[in-house]
Amino acid sequence: MSLWHIAWRYLWNRKLTTVLTILSVALGVGLIVSVLTLREETQRRFEQEGQAFDLVVGAKGNPLQLVLSTVYFLDVPTGNIKKDMLEALRGMEDVEGAFPVAMGDTFRGFRIVGTTLDLMRFAPGGQQPYALAEGRYWERSMEAVLGAQAAEESGLRVGDTFKSTHGFVQMPGAEVHDEVYTVVGILARSGTPNDRAIFCGIGSVWDLHTHYDDADGDAPGDHHPEDEVTAVLVKLASPALRFEYRDKINRNYNAMAAIPVQEIQKLYDQLLGTAKAVLLAIGYLVVVISAVSILIGLYMSILQRRRDLAIMRALGATRGEIFGSVLIEAFWVTLLGIAAGQVLGMTVCAALGHYLTQRLGFHLSAIVWSPDLVSALSAVLLMGMVAGILPAWQAYRTDVARDLAEP
Amino acid sequence: MVTLSNVTRRLGPGVVFQCLAFHAEPGARVALWGPSGCGKSTLLNLISGLLRPHAGAIVVDGVDIAKLSEAQLDGFRGERFGFIFQTFNLLAPFTALQNVMIGMRFADVVPAREWRDRAVAMLKRVGLEHRLHARPATLSVGERQRVAIARALVNRPRVIAADEPTGSLDPKAAAAVMDLLLELCEEEKVTLLLVTHDRTIADRLPEMFSCHDLVKEAAT
Repeated sequence: MSLWHIAWRYLWNRKLTTVLTILSVALGVGLIVSVLTLREETQRRFEQEGQAFDLVVGAKGNPLQLVLSTVYFLDVPTGNIKKDMLEALRGMEDVEGAFPVAMGDTFRGFRIVGTTLDLMRFAPGGQQPYALAEGRYWERSMEAVLGAQAAEESGLRVGDTFKSTHGFVQMPGAEVHDEVYTVVGILARSGTPNDRAIFCGIGSVWDLHTHYDDADGDAPGDHHPEDEVTAVLVKLASPALRFEYRDKINRNYNAMAAIPVQEIQKLYDQLLGTAKAVLLAIGYLVVVISAVSILIGLYMSILQRRRDLAIMRALGATRGEIFGSVLIEAFWVTLLGIAAGQVLGMTVCAALGHYLTQRLGFHLSAIVWSPDLVSALSAVLLMGMVAGILPAWQAYRTDVARDLAEP
Repeated sequence: MVTLSNVTRRLGPGVVFQCLAFHAEPGARVALWGPSGCGKSTLLNLISGLLRPHAGAIVVDGVDIAKLSEAQLDGFRGERFGFIFQTFNLLAPFTALQNVMIGMRFADVVPAREWRDRAVAMLKRVGLEHRLHARPATLSVGERQRVAIARALVNRPRVIAADEPTGSLDPKAAAAVMDLLLELCEEEKVTLLLVTHDRTIADRLPEMFSCHDLVKEAAT
């Protein structure tokens, strides 16, 4: 029969009000949890993927666009660069790996990435994002290896064939190439953008676009796709060399180098940082409204049970115990609201995580205890307790004899 | 056991309550009788520390409670007094057993491990062993008052302050509650101060004081 139990009984005695107050706290907390978790998780996963390569070298333009298009397969590439750049990069002292990528086509929205087998053997940080689940890697032109998500959604199996569509945006009437790709392998699910890509030898892309360019009426010899790549993914001997090499390439070559992690951080800080601040502000506003509803709910409850408080005082309860028991009620409501909000937030994150897996190929965790989240939940708990102070003070000031005498 | 001398309390603008002298021996069973509004409940509240006097001395069990601090008075009240009210004043969210245990929770004179056993024993003593887990709303008025009596006596207080304990009961239930109360006070050697406007109830106690003889409410 502790004060905790007594406070709990009084809350349970007015279930509807209590549940509604808990729900209002849960809504605010759910919003805060969702925003913080999604923000932390997407940034963590973006950065994790970005860490795989120290630099991306592509055509001059927007560095973020270059990074998004070649590392995350999200945006349209900035253009092509001469293959000489690849050779130049491979000749640089601190370049441990330079992997060319050529893009131009898609199949049902999944990007077809032409590259070399070196990239398939690339294992950044001990991870194996290009490991095969079945089949083999390509050995000749027009053989393709599907990412896990691409295989699952397209229904293609090893041995099946498909035709690619020209361009990055799916639209009715888009040009479909006559050439047929054969699926020779499927990658194991890696929880990375690779899951949503289709890989093939870079020669396949060159071959196909030579024909395409011919069909387009270009005179043979005017345009030689085999002389170009969309970008080169670069692994340096040390991440500390990123800035030095970026500046060197940007200064000395007709190409643009971008650091994937830096571009993603800029994206989050400048653009998504504002969105996060707005959503968090809404979340905190809901929590403040919830805190006011805790205050009103408890205050009304105290007015209705002044006699009960007077009885407790007559039985020997001190003013401190009465104050504490009301504060504990505020604590219970806030704590349960936080717990329910956490569940709500996790559900939202799981649902959005599923969407982002489909959209980006990222697998996001719905439960992330970041320092920001812990601080936010502590702030909510504090707000709930502060909301309990006025009703607790009202209870503290109970006039025992008067309240016992009231009918 | 209980002694009042020259106690005054201002009740409102221009109205003063006065009790020049009152005394009850240990184990006495005293009726404070008078019509409604004569000040007998105020007197009981002063004796039990629910109200504080503005002047005078109220000595209970050798302690002048007028000189105790707020916290000391809370402890003293929980330890030495048991209360029975006209409207029972049970706590609605709790069962009969829990209501009796709460009496021990706040008085803090019985070790926590004994609360349950002692509450059960007390409820058995008042004939409610079959209603331990009933909520006040499901009890009859007579049963509610018996729970209140169990709660008042469970800490083995020195004084029972009973304010119109039969005021909400029909005559038969009132008689039964009075029988039980007097029997238990006799058993426990507790001083009983009982406020009533009902002369037949007052006549059942060995000692009776008329409110008019004890109390003066005067305009200043």
